[in-house]
Amino acid sequence: MAVRDLARISGGASRETYRFTASWTEGDAPRERKLILRRDPPASLIDTERRIEFEAYRAFRGSRVPVPEMLWLEEGNGPLDHPFFIAEEIAGYQAGPGLLWTDPYLASHRHLAQRKWSILGDIARADPDAVGLTGVMPAVQAEDCWRRELGIWEDILDADEAEPMPIIRAAIRWLRANPPPPAQKVGVVHGDYRTGNFLFDTQGEIHGILDWEMAHLGDPLEDLGWSLNPIWSFGRGLAGGLVPQDQAVAIWEQASGLQADPAALYWWTLFNCVKGQAIWVSSARAWLDGGNREPIMVYPAWAMTNAQDRAVLQVMGRL
Amino acid sequence: MIPPVPAVLIDLAGKVAANAAPDVNPTDRAGALGLSAMLLGLAAEAWDSAAHHLVVENRTLRGLLAQGAAYVGPPAERPEDDFRLSALGAENGRLRAALIILHAAVEGRDQVLEDAIWAELGASTERRKIKGSAV
Repeated sequence: MAVRDLARISGGASRETYRFTASWTEGDAPRERKLILRRDPPASLIDTERRIEFEAYRAFRGSRVPVPEMLWLEEGNGPLDHPFFIAEEIAGYQAGPGLLWTDPYLASHRHLAQRKWSILGDIARADPDAVGLTGVMPAVQAEDCWRRELGIWEDILDADEAEPMPIIRAAIRWLRANPPPPAQKVGVVHGDYRTGNFLFDTQGEIHGILDWEMAHLGDPLEDLGWSLNPIWSFGRGLAGGLVPQDQAVAIWEQASGLQADPAALYWWTLFNCVKGQAIWVSSARAWLDGGNREPIMVYPAWAMTNAQDRAVLQVMGRL
Repeated sequence: MIPPVPAVLIDLAGKVAANAAPDVNPTDRAGALGLSAMLLGLAAEAWDSAAHHLVVENRTLRGLLAQGAAYVGPPAERPEDDFRLSALGAENGRLRAALIILHAAVEGRDQVLEDAIWAELGASTERRKIKGSAV
């Protein structure tokens, strides 16, 4: 087997991502395939289990949730210094949100939103046991989803913050004092479902849901709340930068068969602002500790931290 | 800004120099320099007003903490005689830590002071807001 055209894809602070072409011979026939290599960096903005990510992709392969085919997983450090997996490359589509605010993508927003939140509804509708994820993802009870997730991200803030964050701490106090109702179901949560983490075309069709590294079992409203985090409006005042929030929620409800109780959705949206801030804080921490001095680790800390604080204020009606 | 601007600029200087080498993979070079340029732009945007904003904010925070002395004893007074960004930032951190304690103490007990704290927190995000901020 030979590898050529190896090139790093810029962006991606939690994994190093490379594209390359593999060529080999089967019998007498030459074969080649475009592939993606995702490798753990020396220090990440979030520490995640690549096996869970790998299995999450595999769980949805062939379903209505479009995902690239996963091929190989290496969890050891031997071959490439850090764990990695290799997947097919879904070539010819875009992921960068910036393109969406330009022609010809502007006309696709309504359809893209329909696809985006329908697919999220399909993820919420999935039975975690039936798709084989209860064996790799830690179990959680419906009434404990909120407590576990808030605890995880508050712990990360406690460990990684480099300066006091009064807005986030006020949000956490509110979240603990006003817990949401138990989850309607314990489902698969993608964990980072937002504009920018899927492959789209000019017609608003979605060809691949990416970045499953934070996938876990939990309340499906968590994913909906993350998609509604104002930080992902990209300054356009619309859910995901695409459509008004009520439209996004209606699409999701229809696809998932679940209800987005306004009070519960409010809780999960505010929670996701806290989670977002924990991620940006972790990014700064990885740089400060010297574990990863890539510029991509500084960018979210500088560009997103204050915007995430403003998102909290917006959600809480204080902006 | 965390990580601190001077430390990041030193690191970026090294990256720019390293990427001047002719044998760097063009894709890697484009990625590193593109992001470095964005960070330089963010640093430049914050530079002129950074000290002013910290002085204003620290004085406002001292006022709020004095206002809330009945609930939480304010932190020890310190002379405002070091205007380096690192010193102003350290003092800002000390005062914001005290504000978190005061904020928690007055929630549900003193609506006027609580609203004043929220107003200052909102103002603090206006001071830190960059062009093109997502929110």
